[in-house]
Amino acid sequence: MTAFAVKLESVSYTYPGSPSPAIEGVNLDVPEGTRLGILGPNGGGKSTLLKIALGLLRPSVGHASIFGQDPADARRAGLIGYVPQRVEALLGFPMSVRQIVTLGASWRLAPWKPVPAATRTTVEDALRLTGAGAFAEKPIGSLSGGQMQRAMIARALAARPRILALDEPLVGIDAAGQQQFGDLLASIHRSLGVTILIISHDLRAIAAGSDRVACLARRLHSHVSPEGLTPQVLAELFSHDLVGIAGLTGPVHVHAHPAGECCEHHQGDSPRSSHAPGQAGDVTVGIEGEENRHGR
Amino acid sequence: MAADHTGLLVYLRDPIMRNLLLPGVLAGAFTVVTCAILSPLVVVRRLGFIGQGISHSAFGGVGVAAVLAAFGLIAVGGAAEFAVIAVFCIAAALGMGLIADRRRTPEDSTIGLFLVGSMALGALLFAYARDHALSAGRAADTRSWESILFGSVMNAGGAEVLLAAIVMGVVLLTLGLIRRPLLFWAFDEEAARGFGVPGGPIRAGLMIMLALVVVAAMKTAGVVLASALLVLPGATALRLSDRLGRVIAISLATALVGLIGGMALSIDRDWQPGPCVVLVMTGMFVAALVWSSVRSPRGHAGAAQGG
Repeated sequence: MTAFAVKLESVSYTYPGSPSPAIEGVNLDVPEGTRLGILGPNGGGKSTLLKIALGLLRPSVGHASIFGQDPADARRAGLIGYVPQRVEALLGFPMSVRQIVTLGASWRLAPWKPVPAATRTTVEDALRLTGAGAFAEKPIGSLSGGQMQRAMIARALAARPRILALDEPLVGIDAAGQQQFGDLLASIHRSLGVTILIISHDLRAIAAGSDRVACLARRLHSHVSPEGLTPQVLAELFSHDLVGIAGLTGPVHVHAHPAGECCEHHQGDSPRSSHAPGQAGDVTVGIEGEENRHGR
Repeated sequence: MAADHTGLLVYLRDPIMRNLLLPGVLAGAFTVVTCAILSPLVVVRRLGFIGQGISHSAFGGVGVAAVLAAFGLIAVGGAAEFAVIAVFCIAAALGMGLIADRRRTPEDSTIGLFLVGSMALGALLFAYARDHALSAGRAADTRSWESILFGSVMNAGGAEVLLAAIVMGVVLLTLGLIRRPLLFWAFDEEAARGFGVPGGPIRAGLMIMLALVVVAAMKTAGVVLASALLVLPGATALRLSDRLGRVIAISLATALVGLIGGMALSIDRDWQPGPCVVLVMTGMFVAALVWSSVRSPRGHAGAAQGG
């Protein structure tokens, strides 16, 4: 049986005072060790989905779990390494990259305890893996966008998370940095086998670091490999009016693959053509997942 | 300035003058040390205006305490008065955080509302308390407006020294206990939430510390200038370094030199000490600004290393 790093079951969330839900009827299974990109337009509910996965918001309807736990508990237990969108760093913050990365691993320590040698080793490993070791002594506020991105990923990895969640990771990164970002995520995935979630409206970020892509515009409405993000799929996603998807009447099920086990996305497949998983009106998107491989 | 220092030192060598001045020097030193430790955090987290809002809110607390004193419920200048002002400031600090709403009442507007509302309340209550004390035959609060607004550190006594020492101890102990999550939160509030750092309690704790420090700083710099002690040492230090240890050391040095220099200037010129202390610190900030601008055209110590 596949261990799901993230499992969302018919999740909807409506912000207080809002007449319509930010996300609706989302079913999402992310097996451990996979890399899933969640692509969607601004206002499509990506940040809401991430906050639910991080346990910062509780679903209005449905259920969310991280490795079988309540997301808030999983967050408090350090299972999730979060790399936020960073438009503006605190440029005057008087700490070095190494100090900031160390905080990611040591902030839970009792105040009277020094940072253990094992934690320092983990920090150095994270700095080395991300390439941030080259500028570890620089003040955090003096970094370029790409360097800051590496430092923030190192900080997340220093806490030894089982899920690495990146929110809009390519904001402020130049073209050369985008390629390096993809290589970096692949390297992290190979070395640590960590589950990676990338949430972005930017196709480049998704294509650079994902095995599979879930398209979110209030509802999840297609699920493809990065190569399957055809102009037609993107046009449907980004021209979506966020009020509803024409013809879609029920929640959508999405299953991500373990790395390297992805089924090919077939251009001819209708993203809403698969079987119903037992609930009238429900729709399962894609043909992935262990259950599918067993002929479910 | 050398002559000013000499003047202060001469006074401190004289047994009679020392007994008069030493409490003020000690209370001021404890206060500015506490402010200097918090100051870099206040600057980088852009909490300077909140500090100003809290310090001005203290005037409302002074008014409430004056009314309670006029009714004989507490003594003027005692621990109870401090407690009343501290509770008022803490309530104001937490209230600013609760009421601020990004869409309808942004944080700066909320702080402004508390600031002017508390000043107005304090002014009316202070006047009412004086009238009531006189009509009731009680001793009225004889403090001048200037001493409340701009401080009167030279008049500090043992109670003020003890108060400043206790506040310093509480703040330093708290900072020591929460330094790691506090620094994490201070650098990156959004990520801190994602990592499980309890941002709400940390922010509330910081607000309470700021409120306590402001109340302790009222004696040194008064309601109007107390927030300057929370901003100037850190702003000066951050112009000169981007290493945490050095920033704190420079902030401490700035605060202590500003205090001693300001008190010396005050004695030499017979000016009010609060404004003198703040002016000396402002002069040091300007010097640091010029120095850092000459050293790095981008005006920040770390900018020259930026990539």
